[in-house]
Formats: sequence, C-alpha cells, structure tokens
Amino acid sequence: MARFSPFDIQARPNYLLGQALSFVLFVVCLGLYIHTSKARHQENPEDRVVPSAAQLRAGIHSSALEPAEEDDYIAPEGAGKWERFRHSMIWKDTASSGKRFGISLLLFLPAILLALHIGLYPYFNAGFMRFVLFFDKIVALSLLPILIIVFGTDELSKISLIFIGVAPTLILDVIQMVKAVPQEQVVKSFTLGANDFDVTYRVVLKQIMPQIINSLRLNLKPIMLFLFAGEMIAASDGLAYRIAIMRRHMGMDVILPYVLWVALLLFLVDFGLRLVNKRMHPWFQS
Amino acid sequence: MLVALFAFAPRAQAAAPPTFTVGWSVYAGWNPYFYMQKSGILKKWADKYGVVIKVQRFDYAASLDSFVAKNIDACTMTNMEALDMPAAAGVDSTAIVMGDYSNGNDAVLTRNGLTFDKLSGHKVMLVQKTVSEYLLERGMVMNGQQAKLNTLKLINTSDSDIAPAFLNNKGNEAVVTWKPLVSQILEDKSVHSIFDSSKIPGEILDLLVVQTSVLQRPDGSGERFAKAITGAWYETMSQMAGGPQQLAALKGSAAASSDTLESYKEQLKTTALFATPKAATEFTTSPTLKQKMELVRQFCFTHGLLGKGIKSVDDVSIAYPDGSVQGRKDRVRLRFDAKYMQAAMQGKL
Amino acid sequence: MVPVLEMEANALAAAPSSAAGTAIHVDRVTVSYAVGKNTRKVILDEVELEIAAGEFVVVLGETGCGKSTMLRMILGQEQPTAGAIHVAGKTIDRVGASCGYVPQKYSLFPDRTVLGNLMMGPETANYHILGRLKPSFRAFRKAVREQAMKQLERMGLHATDADKYPHQLSGGMQQRVAIAQALMMKPTILLMDEAFSALDPGTRGSLQQMLREIWLETKPTVVFVTHNTAEALFLASRIIVLAKQTGPGRAGAKVALDMRLPETGMSLKKNGQRFLDLVEHIELCSQGFEAAAELTLNFEGNAQ
Repeated sequence: MARFSPFDIQARPNYLLGQALSFVLFVVCLGLYIHTSKARHQENPEDRVVPSAAQLRAGIHSSALEPAEEDDYIAPEGAGKWERFRHSMIWKDTASSGKRFGISLLLFLPAILLALHIGLYPYFNAGFMRFVLFFDKIVALSLLPILIIVFGTDELSKISLIFIGVAPTLILDVIQMVKAVPQEQVVKSFTLGANDFDVTYRVVLKQIMPQIINSLRLNLKPIMLFLFAGEMIAASDGLAYRIAIMRRHMGMDVILPYVLWVALLLFLVDFGLRLVNKRMHPWFQS
Repeated sequence: MLVALFAFAPRAQAAAPPTFTVGWSVYAGWNPYFYMQKSGILKKWADKYGVVIKVQRFDYAASLDSFVAKNIDACTMTNMEALDMPAAAGVDSTAIVMGDYSNGNDAVLTRNGLTFDKLSGHKVMLVQKTVSEYLLERGMVMNGQQAKLNTLKLINTSDSDIAPAFLNNKGNEAVVTWKPLVSQILEDKSVHSIFDSSKIPGEILDLLVVQTSVLQRPDGSGERFAKAITGAWYETMSQMAGGPQQLAALKGSAAASSDTLESYKEQLKTTALFATPKAATEFTTSPTLKQKMELVRQFCFTHGLLGKGIKSVDDVSIAYPDGSVQGRKDRVRLRFDAKYMQAAMQGKL
Repeated sequence: MVPVLEMEANALAAAPSSAAGTAIHVDRVTVSYAVGKNTRKVILDEVELEIAAGEFVVVLGETGCGKSTMLRMILGQEQPTAGAIHVAGKTIDRVGASCGYVPQKYSLFPDRTVLGNLMMGPETANYHILGRLKPSFRAFRKAVREQAMKQLERMGLHATDADKYPHQLSGGMQQRVAIAQALMMKPTILLMDEAFSALDPGTRGSLQQMLREIWLETKPTVVFVTHNTAEALFLASRIIVLAKQTGPGRAGAKVALDMRLPETGMSLKKNGQRFLDLVEHIELCSQGFEAAAELTLNFEGNAQ
C-alpha cells in the first residue's frame, strides 16, 4: 500500500486505491441524496422534491412500462416487458428527441464540408470566414423569438436552433484542423498528380476525420442543450417536453430517471463514436 | 447537483425577530403586492404585529418550486396549482386570502372562425397542465365536445414565446393563454376569442397560500404574520377601489408588470377582485367554492397532476371553513381558511 | 565503389552540363514582401540561374537567405514578385506533377500505409475518382503494387514494412519511403528541401549514399536544398551558394557562388585538403555576396 499523499504530483497511487478514489464522489453524492431524501420524508412523507427509492421505482415504472398519458395505447393483458417498453412514455420521448438529434447530426455534414472548403480554398475563406467568426459569437438562444417567427414551432425551429447553436463552433473547429494539416501534405499531393478534389476529400478530409469525430463528441452536450431548450419552448413530445411537463407538478420521481437516462444515452453515443474512431482510424494518434 | 441538494436541505428555523417571505409573480390580481410593499402599507402592518415580512418577486413556476421546497413561507398561486403543487406534494397548505377569480383573463382564441365543434384534429398551443388546459377542457365540455377531447393536438408552448409563435405562423389555428398576451394576440383581426374564463366564474381562483406549519407555529408568530399580511392586503384593496390614493395604487400596481395604466385597467376589467373582506369571506364560505373545487380536483386527478403515487382523487383532500372535507379526512392537504378575512371584515385586525 | 566513381568522373567530363538542354530556368527572379507602409523586405534579388537536365544542384546558404523560397518557387508553391520560373520550357504558376518533391518532414500521408503512400501517386495521377470503377483499374493497381514493392526493396525496406503506418517507422525509414513515394512517379526533376536535415549522422550518411546511387543510375535533375556543406560536396555536381548583399540599401540574396564540381562524391576521406579548402571557400562565400565575388575570382585563379 502506497503512502496516501494527495498533494504530491509525483505520487503513484496503486491500482486499487486509484479505483477506489474514483468512486468516492459517487458514493458521497448518493449518500447526500439519500440523507436529504430521508430527512425530507421524515418531515413530509409525501415529499416530491427529493423522491425516495420507492417513489423513484414507481416513477421508473410509469415512465418505462406504461404508455404516455396522451397515448391511446392500452397494453394487452399479459404483455411482455419489452412490448410494454416499446409503447412507454420514455421510449416515445426518446424516439422523437432522437429523431431531432439525428437530423441535426446529418445537417452537420454539409457544415463540415463547408468548413473543409473554407480552410482549403482561399475564395471560400474570403467569402465565409469573417461571417462565421461573427456568427459564432451570436448567442443562439437569444435568437429564439426570431427562429420561432421564421420557422414556426414545428420540428424545423428546434433543429435550426441546434444547428445555429452548434454549427459555427464546429465549423471553426474544423477550419482549425484543416489549417493545421501541414502545407507539405497538400503540395506533395499535387506533385503526385492529385487534383483539387483529391486533395480536399482524399487527403485532407480523410486525415482530419478522426479529429472531426472527436469534435462532435465534445459537442454532444451543446447539441443536447439546444435540443432541450427547443423542446421546452414548444413541443408535444420529447425528453425535454416531458421534463417540462413534469416540472409543473414537481414530478421529480420521473424527472430524475429521465435525467439519468439522457446521461446514459449521451454516454453511449460518445462511446460509440469513440469506438468508430478507433476502428476506422487505427493510424490516428491523438 | 450538490448545490441543488444543499438548497433543498431543510431550512434552519430563524430565531429572534420572526421574518416571513412572501413570493409573488406578475399577474393583474397579484401586482398589488408590489404596490403594498412600495407604499409602506406592508411595513406598517408588519410592525403592528411585530414581524418582518419580505416580499419577493419570482417567475411563477419558480415561486411554486420554492414554496414546495419550503424555502418561502407564503406564495400567490391559483387554486389549481395549490392543489397539484404543494398539496399533492404533501406540503400542507392554507389559503388565507381569496384574491380574485379570472373573469375573462384567460381565453381560448382561434383563427378563421374555428369553433369548438371543428377544433378536433387541429393544433392548439398552450402551456400544458395549467389553467389554460383546464379552460380548454371546460370549453369543450360546455360546448358538448367532451368526446373529442382526445383528438386535440396540444402543443406545449412556453408562455414567454406563445404570442409571437402564434401570431407569426398562420398555420397555428388555436391558442389558449392569458392576459395581457390575450390582448396582444387579439390585435390580429383574424383572431377571435371563442371562450374565456368569464363563462366559468369562480373556477380559476387566485389565492395567497401559506404553509400550514407556519400558521401553526407554537409561538403564534405565524398567525401574527397572517393577520399582518391580510390587513395590509385589504388596506391596499380599499385604496385600489377608490378614494384619494386610487390613482397611486393603480399606477404602483401597473408598474409591477411594467404595464401602462390603461393596459392594467383593461386587465382588471376581466379580473374579478374580491375588493372587500366581506365579498371574499362570503365566497370562501359559500357552497359554490366546493362545487368549483370539485371540477378542478377531478381535472387534476385525471391528468395525473396529483402525482404518480396518487391512486384516488380523494387522497389529496380539501378542507373548507365549515369543517367539511372533500376526500379522505386523514389526508387533508389544502385548507381554505376564512378566519383572517373574517377578522378583517369585522375590523378586528 | 571506386570504379564507379571514376566512370562518373569521365561521364561528367564527356558530357558538358548544358548538352541535355535546360531543365529549370530561374529567370531574373525577385521576391519581396511589404513590411511597412513604404518599405519592402527583399528576399531574392534578380536571381538568374539555369539548371541543365541531369544536374545535381545543391543550393547552400545561411538560414533566411532564401534557398527554400527558391525551391518553393520552382515547385510552384510561391510566386516571384518579379521575373519567372520556367520548368521544361513552361512557366510555373501553380504546383503540378512536373516535379517530384521530398520535404524535410510531413511528406507521408499518415492515414495510409507505406504501400498506400507509394501507390498514391500513380493511382491518383492515372485514375480519378470515377475512373476507379473501370475494370482496367484492377490490373493497373496490381501492376503499381508490384512496382511499389520493388521500389520499397530498392530503398532498403522490407516487404513486411509495407503494411505499416508512417508513425510506426523511424525518421530515416520515413524519408526512404518519402523518396520512394516521389520516385514512383518517375520524375525527371526531383526537388528536395532539407530532406536529410532531421536525421542522425549515421542514417543521414546511408541515405546520402542511396540518393547518390539513384541519381547515378537514372540521372534525374535534382535540386537539393541544405545548409550542410559536406553533404553538398558529396552529392552535388554543381553547387549554388545564395548570400545576402551587404552593401547599403540592398538586402536581397543573389547567387554568390555557382560552381560545377570536377567530380562528385567528394569527401574528406577521399579528397583530403582539397575537400577542406572547398568547404572553407563555400562557407566564406555564404557570408556575403560582395565578399564572395572577390573570393571566387581568387579561388578560380588558384585552381587553374
């Protein structure tokens, strides 16, 4: 057992200690939660602000195994858990939020290609760079009223909010990556008979692909943030819609599982992207 | 997360000069709290009863959250929220001041002459699970369209964006909201009101609700607080109703929501203020209140607003001044108490 | 080794460098850029240079004298402020496939294996994206692959290295692959910018040896930029020294020394004092244009 020395830069905690330390904060949070919940329930057995385990269990049950209130579906007698889950509130909300999320990810493709061109082609750089720099500084949420006026309250406004919020940052990031590709690579490609298309897509894009994926991973949270903002403003389904509705009557027993569910989903998407990166780009040295 | 947990932790009970916090939010019937504090009326009454009263402006949702978390002692809210927020969350609450009822403040607005019988399948923008949805349902029911309730496509829309969102897209055909947003939307001449709260008088009530545990404090400071704020309220009301101070009172209240005097007066026209303690007491002790509350509590229950764990509408009960209880006697969570209003009526404050 | 060198010496003597025609013509090139409102910093001042086909030209000079700028202009990466560059009779205004190029680093595509790097040139030069769908592409690819493996072997790399990624190779191996990659295009002109400068002395020596052998074998025109005089004397058939003018008002570099070597592959071991004299002379020349002009007169007088 190594000496416990938290303020030593050169300390080398052993594996077990390291693992144990990494769980300390989780345990503290959980403990604090349980303590607060207990205390509040002692004072008010029906407290909803910090739901107890039983309340949470009921909340999870109703979100994962019961259809949404506005749904007409009634589970047939003896329906399996999976069957119930597929018609549950959380499934429905995840599907509609997921759709918005997916569409905005698809919309980032042209943005990335634009960035690639801005970084490589002087004319694109001249035409777009200054505007993107300006646009990046716009706080997207403050544009909401305009977005609603222009795009209405349907899917379009939510997706455009995500796009306007995240795309400029992503574009600037990708431009930086393109500019960081050594000039030698471009020159060398031309001497090897490549044309502009080859240099753009087969040399530069291929080379920065893993970095683009990493940038997307970092932007998952902002994407989610803007998606939630959009859904809270006007929606009839979605994860954030449900959270907004549940807030109206302090449904923390449903909100907390939803929050954890979103965290899990984000983690899985992030993990998936990391895996894709590893598989597709074995040469990449981060 | 940690911060949130600490914030939710039970507050230590303050000692020496008992301080009470009242939360209020912008609304025609509640704006007078702003004037009441500014004009010194509140301070006068608080001093009389030896308490300190702080008045704090909140967003409506935030004020309810704070009240449920017991971070504030009293809060303005509608009868519906009193039932589905604190009461349903097990926070025993008492309504001590019957402020007003919405008499046209809330309205169902449609474009192109759309009426209730044709509303089926159309999108309706509103803040879901609030009095707006209640009003819409009552409108449907009173127009014989109860069976079609499920065919409405409700779009939950934040109140901060509902007016521009509705106005700027002709594809939106129906909206349910409240004043001054209603007046704003009605400036578009193609939009008409097809139903408003004046058709359901006394169903959407605006109350001052106090934590029952505060009222029952053994040192009596809670009762003194209730007396002080009730006294201050009715002095404010009498100024609003007429006399030399009327203009100042109206202006001061209008300023609370940065409204012009005209706009505020317009809002007051559709707000049925119980200007005297007598009117308020009469309504609170009448059987009408029970009838109205029955409608509201059924609505809350069928919409799951009483919580996932509540299996029967009777599990969140309401007690009335005559001692009767709506629901199970052992589960009283919301109480209407006319004691302080009565005292004001009799000039005993 | 020695017989080859003698043969080479004869060949040099027999074929005067201008016989095969001009490969590169640096035509009174000036490069300058604005530094303030009214001042311009001059890098190259009316540099005039003709390089014949088959010459191995090493460009020497102190840091910042403009030797890399000159190379980049021949490449087409930079444009002269005045004057022009002609390669094989054509004026160069952009980077094209007329020259092979080996920079000091970042020469290899990190996302391709060694084999992929070698095949990249012939593949892209002959088949653009849609052409790859043609049935003939497969046969072509197979042929290129064989060629690449041969080239790899010639550069002293193993067949097992073919599937490695550049980052898995040492610096010396990377430069070998880089040269091989350029040679796959069978360039008549090869431009090398400090290609061996980042390598350790041992590796550097063996790469110099290899490059010399390639040159002797296929006789491409080579322009090799370096700041190492010994490397220059070993590789060059002709040495160009660029040096800044020190006179008042003029700052750009000019050709301070243009020397055709009577033999190639010079080294201290082989040439003794004569090698040292040349090194000293070259290094003195690189210190300033005016001084160099005087020196050169004397030196050539001595030599004769």
